[in-house]
Amino acid sequence: MTTALPHCCWHIAVIQKEDCPYLREGEEELLINQKQRLLKRCLECPKFLEDLRVFNGELHGLPDMFTFAIEEILGLRASIRSLQHRYDSRSQEIKSLHDIGVALQTSVDRDEIIAMALTAVTSGKGFGLNRAILLLVDKDRQKLEGAFAVGPLEAEDAGRIWREIEAQDYSLQKMAEVFYEQKMAHEKEKFRDLLARLSVPLGQSDHLFIRTLNERKSVIIHDLFQDPYLPHEQKQSLGVKELIMVPLVSKDRRIGLLLADNIINRRPIAPEDLESLETFALPLTFAIKRAALYERLQEELERVREANRRLNEQQEQILRMEKMALVGQIASNIAHSIRNPLTIIGGFARTLIKSVPEEDARRQYLESIVRQTRKLEDILQEVLHYSESMHPTLDDWDLNQMIAAVYTGQREDLELSHIHCRLDLQPGLPLVRIDYKKMIYCLRNIIANAVEAMPDGGEVSIATRREGNNVKISLHDSGSGINPEVLGAVTQPFYSTKAQGSGLGLPLCARILEGQGAHLEIQSDKGQGTTINIVIQIQREERHGQDSDR
Amino acid sequence: MARILIVDDERDIRLLYSAELTDEGYEVDTAGTGDEAARLLQSRTYDLIVLDIQMKGESGLQILQKIVQERSEMPVILNTAFSCYKEDFSSWLADAYVVKSSDLTELKEEINRLLAKKQG
Repeated sequence: MTTALPHCCWHIAVIQKEDCPYLREGEEELLINQKQRLLKRCLECPKFLEDLRVFNGELHGLPDMFTFAIEEILGLRASIRSLQHRYDSRSQEIKSLHDIGVALQTSVDRDEIIAMALTAVTSGKGFGLNRAILLLVDKDRQKLEGAFAVGPLEAEDAGRIWREIEAQDYSLQKMAEVFYEQKMAHEKEKFRDLLARLSVPLGQSDHLFIRTLNERKSVIIHDLFQDPYLPHEQKQSLGVKELIMVPLVSKDRRIGLLLADNIINRRPIAPEDLESLETFALPLTFAIKRAALYERLQEELERVREANRRLNEQQEQILRMEKMALVGQIASNIAHSIRNPLTIIGGFARTLIKSVPEEDARRQYLESIVRQTRKLEDILQEVLHYSESMHPTLDDWDLNQMIAAVYTGQREDLELSHIHCRLDLQPGLPLVRIDYKKMIYCLRNIIANAVEAMPDGGEVSIATRREGNNVKISLHDSGSGINPEVLGAVTQPFYSTKAQGSGLGLPLCARILEGQGAHLEIQSDKGQGTTINIVIQIQREERHGQDSDR
Repeated sequence: MARILIVDDERDIRLLYSAELTDEGYEVDTAGTGDEAARLLQSRTYDLIVLDIQMKGESGLQILQKIVQERSEMPVILNTAFSCYKEDFSSWLADAYVVKSSDLTELKEEINRLLAKKQG
């Protein structure tokens, strides 16, 4: 048995630098630490292995066992390195996720958020999937609509989008910004057909997308072509076998569905891809929802601003009108105080003319006075016409006297129609501020209705009563009653009852009365006659210029 | 000869109207206030009254309401500087409504018309 010396230096406690070709700079400690040197260098040194081989068969096979142990150690080492690598890439991913999450929270613009999200899904710095498609719920149209997609349309297109941007070594957020500003419009146009084809009505609950959305559970479909819930055309449009679907749901609201795949490199989708996207779905959902809320807030704000602007305008207009009314009132007062003197001057000039012969020179002078006063009167008329158009014609009136006057005017008509009229007027009623002409119009109208409702004669009673702060005029007739349709319409503006018989003109009366702080109450039953109350407020100070019918 | 009462708080208007109407052959009385008018209306009968609306104290409209109540057969002409009352009362209570003017033709025509109607 020949025992060759060991070929290498593993058995020497202290070696020189040139003894081992595998030692690197900075590893001088291994020159004197034999055990560490064995673990770190010798186990992988071919000369050491050769020495072990030479020892083979000796020491009851111990070198064999030793070789096996070494292989095991090397295997474990490799798997530690691979785990370390996965750990690194995973923590890189988490960091990206965090970054993009933060970025998502900084934006309230929906398109910008979508740009960031799809950048994160498809860029190498993000999740590195080939293609991402976002479908969003459109509540108004009850549809899940293709909103946006990022990725290559064809194989040669693959990676180009990101190679251009990634060449700059931007952060994920910066990349998203660049993408949003430079590529988004183009990408959207590129995928327009696909997005349109992927839209599904929300009610189609047996559709793969809607099912996934309703079940709120992310899935990887490994063989899309075999899936029974996706129509053939949509399978064709997507053109992939493997697809990740992540529903975006916040509380009870369905926001959308995120699809991702590896359409180009066909890399199998791993459970980690799904996990990453799932984690990502939550901040994305919040961001999209918040953007929608923000948009609504802006709209509401705009509406409020608009309302405020209109209010200000109206206030200014009211102010202007008040000023105009004041100017008009002043003009009117001046004009009125001038009219009497003019009447007198011109009047006497005319009186004098009569006694002056035509050939008398003084006649011309008088005619001149008459002409000039006439001219002034014309000017006055214009001024008054203007200012009077701005003033209501309200005055304080005794309603009993007014009713008596109306009754006197209508008496003949009533008698001809064989209608007996009974007045029941409460004495000592307070005066009320009303537009006399309009109030009389209303009374006459109501009486005329009563006459019409009693073609064969009957009885009308008119009563006045004070009721608290109101004075009430009640007119009752024993006629056929008012058509319920007309009755209901009385309170509606612009309702015309023309050619509908009894009740004609009542809507107009109701409106006229409203303009004077009064209102109509009507009670009518077919065959029971009709009672119409006009209720007028007694105290109506400072109501000038507020009449709605002006 | 028809007797006419002029009610106006402006002295010179009263003077002008009575001169002109007397000239037309009417017997004319004038009153400067509502009270004065009421006293005259108590003491004698008039065929027609010309009433100013805008007066100090009792307004022509208030006098008008009384007249309508007590002497509904007597024609009343409202005569005022305010044309705005015209739309309101002409057809309801007063028999005529004439806006003041240096040209008294309209006033005289209305007086003639109403007196003729009353007699006829």
